[in-house]
Amino acid sequence: MDSAKISRVHRTLTYLIHMKAKAFLANALVVLTSFTANASDLDLEKDELKVGFIKLTDCAPIVIAKEKGFFEDEGLQVEVIAQPNWKTLLDNVISGNLDGAHMLSGQPIAATIGFGTKAHIVTAYTLDLNGNGITVSNNIWAQMQENDPALDTPQPKHPISADALKPIVEEKLDEGEKLQMGMVFPVSTHNYELRYWLAASGIHPGMYTETDTGGRTDADVELSVTPPPMMPQVLEAGNIQGYCVGEPWNQQAVFKDIGVPVTTNYDIWKNNPEKVFGVTKEWSDENPNTHVAVIKALIRAGKWLDEKDASGNFVNREEAVRILSQPNYVGADYDVIKNSMTGTFTFQKSDQRKMPEFNVFFDNYCTYPWYSDGVWFLTQMRRWGQITESKPASWYFEVVEEVYQPDIYLQAATLLLEDGLIEESDVPWNTNGYKPATTEFIDGIAYDGRDPIGYLNSHTIGNKDPEGLAKK
Amino acid sequence: MKFKILKAIDVAGLQMLDPVVRLFYGETPREQLRKIVLFIVIPVLTIILSVLLWSYLAPRHTTKAGEVPTPGVVLDAARGIQQFHTWENQKADDFLLTGEARQNALAAVDTRIAELTPLSVAAAASVEEAKATQQAYREKYATPLEAEYKQLRNDLKAKEDSQEEALIAEADTLGVNDVAARQAYLKKVAAFDAMEEANKETLRAFKDKIDAVYSEKFPVLEAAQTTYNTIEAELQYLSKRRDYLTADNQELKIASAQIELKELETGFLSATTGKETFKAAERMLKKQESIDRIATSEYSRPWTFPRQIWRSLACVFLGFFIATAIAIPLGIFCGLSRVFMAALTPFIALFKPVSPIVWLPIIFIIVGGFISDPDVSMFHPAFLSSAITVALCSLWPTLVNTALGVASVDKDHINVARVLRLGLVSRLFKIVLPSALPLIFAGLRISLGVGWMVLIAAELLSSSEGIGKFTWDMFNNGSSESFAQMFVVVFVVGIVGLVLDRIMIVFQRLVSFDGAPTAL
Repeated sequence: MDSAKISRVHRTLTYLIHMKAKAFLANALVVLTSFTANASDLDLEKDELKVGFIKLTDCAPIVIAKEKGFFEDEGLQVEVIAQPNWKTLLDNVISGNLDGAHMLSGQPIAATIGFGTKAHIVTAYTLDLNGNGITVSNNIWAQMQENDPALDTPQPKHPISADALKPIVEEKLDEGEKLQMGMVFPVSTHNYELRYWLAASGIHPGMYTETDTGGRTDADVELSVTPPPMMPQVLEAGNIQGYCVGEPWNQQAVFKDIGVPVTTNYDIWKNNPEKVFGVTKEWSDENPNTHVAVIKALIRAGKWLDEKDASGNFVNREEAVRILSQPNYVGADYDVIKNSMTGTFTFQKSDQRKMPEFNVFFDNYCTYPWYSDGVWFLTQMRRWGQITESKPASWYFEVVEEVYQPDIYLQAATLLLEDGLIEESDVPWNTNGYKPATTEFIDGIAYDGRDPIGYLNSHTIGNKDPEGLAKK
Repeated sequence: MKFKILKAIDVAGLQMLDPVVRLFYGETPREQLRKIVLFIVIPVLTIILSVLLWSYLAPRHTTKAGEVPTPGVVLDAARGIQQFHTWENQKADDFLLTGEARQNALAAVDTRIAELTPLSVAAAASVEEAKATQQAYREKYATPLEAEYKQLRNDLKAKEDSQEEALIAEADTLGVNDVAARQAYLKKVAAFDAMEEANKETLRAFKDKIDAVYSEKFPVLEAAQTTYNTIEAELQYLSKRRDYLTADNQELKIASAQIELKELETGFLSATTGKETFKAAERMLKKQESIDRIATSEYSRPWTFPRQIWRSLACVFLGFFIATAIAIPLGIFCGLSRVFMAALTPFIALFKPVSPIVWLPIIFIIVGGFISDPDVSMFHPAFLSSAITVALCSLWPTLVNTALGVASVDKDHINVARVLRLGLVSRLFKIVLPSALPLIFAGLRISLGVGWMVLIAAELLSSSEGIGKFTWDMFNNGSSESFAQMFVVVFVVGIVGLVLDRIMIVFQRLVSFDGAPTAL
């Protein structure tokens, strides 16, 4: 409400300023000159780009870079094209139909190591942190509340673990059935988060093996792939009893009375990396300056999205939501997208909470391509058997260094800093690419990107590797 | 004159107009009126009736996923689609506007913003007000219910616990092998379980009551939100237009770049050291290049529905053309030679029923192999794949009809050809094809219909821009308008299909000598 008021006042003011500016249009030209002077210093190899995205709110930096003219400031004309699913999106990037795309963090890594389609994909920019939720059907939620009366209040205490779900799973197993849950892609963060959440409460989500590419071996709960926009419908139809997906598809379920989001990935792992901007290695090598220009525009978009006023409210998010709700972008209703994007999340109609960090687009150095993020995804691929063999720790480091390109990010950041468009404190200039160890997981297990083998072995459920590999 | 018009109507396949013309010329009024009622009044009535039925039934069928849109809502959705198209075109135009025209457009935009800004503030206020009402309603009705629920749950739980304890205590008194007593006890436990189940039911029913309060609809709030969103969407659009009329305008961008170029030029002319001169020269050239680039650049406009319809038409005609180019020659050979026919029959039988959804991925891989760099290829690979899919699914009717037409040429005609000692080529073009044409065109007409139907699925899968992709994108949006947009697609696809079919009928009529029955 406050920020709404502020943005309205802001607009009225800008409008008045505009009216004045009109009178001095000639002067305006001079202002413009100084503004564009710092732009196209880069010698672009290509200036008309096609960028793909999936209709999820975390495509925001790409859309904003286009709509707020950050791409144009770099001399780029960018067409932003919706893709029907993650597989097609990746195929289009590989085939060259798209220059780059909004990707799941796991996609560049999986493509590079050859799980699924093989292609060397790199990323120099992380689009956002958090932003996913796990939703269960109304019926399952009612049963969870019966199992744990603490949940049976209008506003239960968070985080909610899968403990209350376990008896339901066991009951189903006794009847010879398995609970079905949906996620969006085999190497998606959603798959790993849902697995993490289930496994943290001792529910086995199933293993991938060489012969089982569906990941259902030994499963207590079977996970299957459903495209994000289909999730609410499939849940309502009863094919699945719960799902893990990005926004706006959790909020849709609440507004349509189909299901209840029980937890967000912020509670599963605080400030976890979510989507990245991916291009092929080949493209990046052929168009190094264009790549830097794109990253420059994205950094500015990220910063714009996370801009806050003195009292800590987002300044630009409402405008961002307005843009995202256009039919050629995310296209969902303004009021649905607005929820999570402006820092509130509705768990039930009686339970709307402030979650300012539900989507992070710039703070916490989140846009920097951290090696440690890549290592985490690799450990999850190994934990659930998508990587079928044991690998030494050094292999993990090599792979992430092939995929994550902090050099390009820092080049872009340096140029922006020279132009005065970002602050020195916005970028981690001297880092080795590994975030400090953290225990901010739902089960409190410590993760240190420099010790992937030790991390793998600290979990009860999932693959474990010989300790000896840690030093190799 | 009258017969000319009647003939034109007949060829165009618009027979329902026939009685109108005849009536106009005063021919057997009774009979013509009867025909008008049959061919015009009754269809129009059924259309009106079904629209009425639709608007009556639609609001009575709601699912959780959304409401079935009424005709009015569908019309609004169509307007929304059209508006998006107009807005995008406007932005593209604004980008290129220069001089006076740009100033005028800017003034118009500013006036409109000035008009809308106070409206937006008012609309926001009424949304807040409606929200407060909703909140108050919830607090008034839900909060006491929630408290009551909590009380009830605790009471029931306490009762269950005490009974359970009592049962356990009773169990202690049971004799070890006392079958009768134990049977009785078992019944008591069963009754206890039943009570637990009943309590659960009670609680759930109570909960539903609370949920009902939260789900209570507030039409005032919804209306206020819609108004506010409409205004804000337009303001967003206007502010974007402002950008394209000022900072992002092509003319202004070039102008400012030219000023920079001038500065660079001065720098270049006054440079003293060799290194500096070289650098300045390079910078100047780069600037010149970027000016050239801006001068040829265009607003990168997203695909809008009207443009997607045209693209779909292009795609279906390309596919149809490929299909025709394959099917007619093959069909002729099949018709001429029994051996050829026998050789081809298994393939026709095997491939005819294959769905476009199966063809597409295969074709995608094949086409992808030929197009290594999509930027330089004439056709977009997805577009080409969709067209080939259309071709593969739609060539069968033409093929079969051509074969049939060629095979069933009148024996007398063939004999005449023999007598005249016509060569193969002239026999083909003078005798066989002309008499097979009506059937070939009947086949083509079916092919085009099939192609149009298949295209939507192919575009949807290949994400080639067109009606299919529009459908999928709007479905993926999951907005409150999505369903209505699907209805718009239904009508657009239907109408375009109808027009295509009529065009084919005209062709078919034009090549038939005998006015073969082709109506419908």
